[in-house]
Amino acid sequence: MIEAHGLTKRYGPKLAVDDVTFTVRPGTVTGFLGPNGAGKSTTMRMIMGLDRPTAGRVTVNGRPYAQHTRPLAEVGALLEAKAAHPGRTARQHLLALAATHGIAPSRVDEVVELTGLAAVARKRVGGFSLGMGQRLGIAVALLGDPRTLILDEPVNGLDPEGVLWVRNLARYVAGEGRTVFLSSHLMSEVALTADHVIVIGRGRILADMPVQQLVDGASRRLVRVRSPQAAALAEALRREGGAVAPGDDGALEVTGVDAARVGELAAVGGVVLHELTPVASTLEEAYLELTADAVEYQTERPADALAGAARPDTPEGSHR
Amino acid sequence: MTAPTTTAEAARSTTAVQRVTFTRVLRGEWIKFRTLRSTVWTVVITAVVMVGLALMMAAIMQVAADTPEMSEGMSQDPGLQAIGLTGTTIVTFGYSFGALAVGVLATLIVTSEYSTGTVRSTFAAVPRRLPVLWAKLVVIVLTTAVVVAVALAIAYVATAPLLEDAGLSVDLSDPEQVRALVGCVLYLATVAAFALAVGTLMRHSAGAIFTIVAIFFVVPLIFSIVVQATDAAWTDWVNKLLPSVAGERVISRGAATDVLLDPWVGYGVLAGYTVVLLVVAAVTLKRRDA
Repeated sequence: MIEAHGLTKRYGPKLAVDDVTFTVRPGTVTGFLGPNGAGKSTTMRMIMGLDRPTAGRVTVNGRPYAQHTRPLAEVGALLEAKAAHPGRTARQHLLALAATHGIAPSRVDEVVELTGLAAVARKRVGGFSLGMGQRLGIAVALLGDPRTLILDEPVNGLDPEGVLWVRNLARYVAGEGRTVFLSSHLMSEVALTADHVIVIGRGRILADMPVQQLVDGASRRLVRVRSPQAAALAEALRREGGAVAPGDDGALEVTGVDAARVGELAAVGGVVLHELTPVASTLEEAYLELTADAVEYQTERPADALAGAARPDTPEGSHR
Repeated sequence: MTAPTTTAEAARSTTAVQRVTFTRVLRGEWIKFRTLRSTVWTVVITAVVMVGLALMMAAIMQVAADTPEMSEGMSQDPGLQAIGLTGTTIVTFGYSFGALAVGVLATLIVTSEYSTGTVRSTFAAVPRRLPVLWAKLVVIVLTTAVVVAVALAIAYVATAPLLEDAGLSVDLSDPEQVRALVGCVLYLATVAAFALAVGTLMRHSAGAIFTIVAIFFVVPLIFSIVVQATDAAWTDWVNKLLPSVAGERVISRGAATDVLLDPWVGYGVLAGYTVVLLVVAAVTLKRRDA
């Protein structure tokens, strides 16, 4: 369980995280979705006590992370790939961290095995690929068998097999009743892995809802219908309260009436249908709609828009 | 991740994870220290060079003792008389090189964590942070003390025949000479602590190493010239209060002069700087974003 209240982080003139309040619940995978620079990594670093909030507070399992007596048993975090000295072997890196919690070397070997690093565990981290570095980061996160798992862009640099593995891992861990908080700038990734999604843009929470609801709630829930009697059908649909717009090559794009009802109306009216296709809105579309709103909101405040535009390439984690 | 587990089972952690204690943090820092080849090599080379320099100086002294012109010249050299040449001067001759090596090593122990990103793993495991600083302090100070003590012991034994020939045998019944030997261990251990604090404050390897080299080697060099060139009293004071000039007094023989502090007072000045720096480093470490 992660609870953030009014969490704010300011770097000089830039408000990286702006009064953010949310709760990440156990037993589910919660996706943390937003474009690069939206404040995801900064928020996660504040959860881990690595960055000090400018305002607000965040607790993990009831108290600030730093106040836990066994921090690695509370939260395991992958915050960036290659958070290890290139001169040490993967195993040495893990052993050093394990020692701080009196974790036995056998557990180190366990997570090495689990993350598929057995073959390279005694090799120095300097020679690791991005994907291997990522696996080492996940091994570190799992070391203390934590109740909460925080993964910042976990699939970065992983091969397809690795991506699938991370997805299954997140689902499995959540299935055990633990909390999983996973960030991504890829909406498809979140849609595949998460049950719940928190969307962040420009440091603000834009949505906090079940993934399904985000998709369902998207205004463009569309039915495409094609008929030689288009005019009569459109008339019937409008009477039913639907909105009808002409689509490509003579098809009608209907919103406000679902596909089943369109079919019924056509049958009642004796209208011939050549095509009847429900077009589900994707998470991408829902997401773009949300961020589009944020952009509109921003343009109403030119000062903010300029401040953002002047520093378009401030990536998360660039400040060290 | 294939074995199906029920929620009830998962609620109980199967892995033994214990509370973070200082001893455990210390163990973790010790693993980090000894698992870097560069660290191990630096330590070994420091010891070897310190012994080598002592042997070299002892050999020169032996030759000098056999050569009447050289020994006469040395007995009349005011510089050598001021240092107060004894057997310990020879045995501890490599301390300056040792200070450089230990200073760089102690700096890197912290700054390399920042340059490689390791610090985020470290602070995720020990989010209170300060135990990490104190553990690093214990590791670097104890390692330095042990290594320097061993190097001096080897140098003492190895140079003994040469120094006896030169009539400069180390006299362990002379408290001044014992103080110089112990002082050498203390001085280098304190330089390590000083450098650790500077590294923690500055975080960047190049900047921190430059600062250490400037404070311990460049500034004293400049002041040694300035002090000669001017009569201004403040230059004498600044000079004798420089960390290296003050601290090195504990390795030397001889009492305080107008331009130098008493040995223990001098060491106290260096230790004072070090404590202040460590406190500032601790406060900033706790406050700043990692």
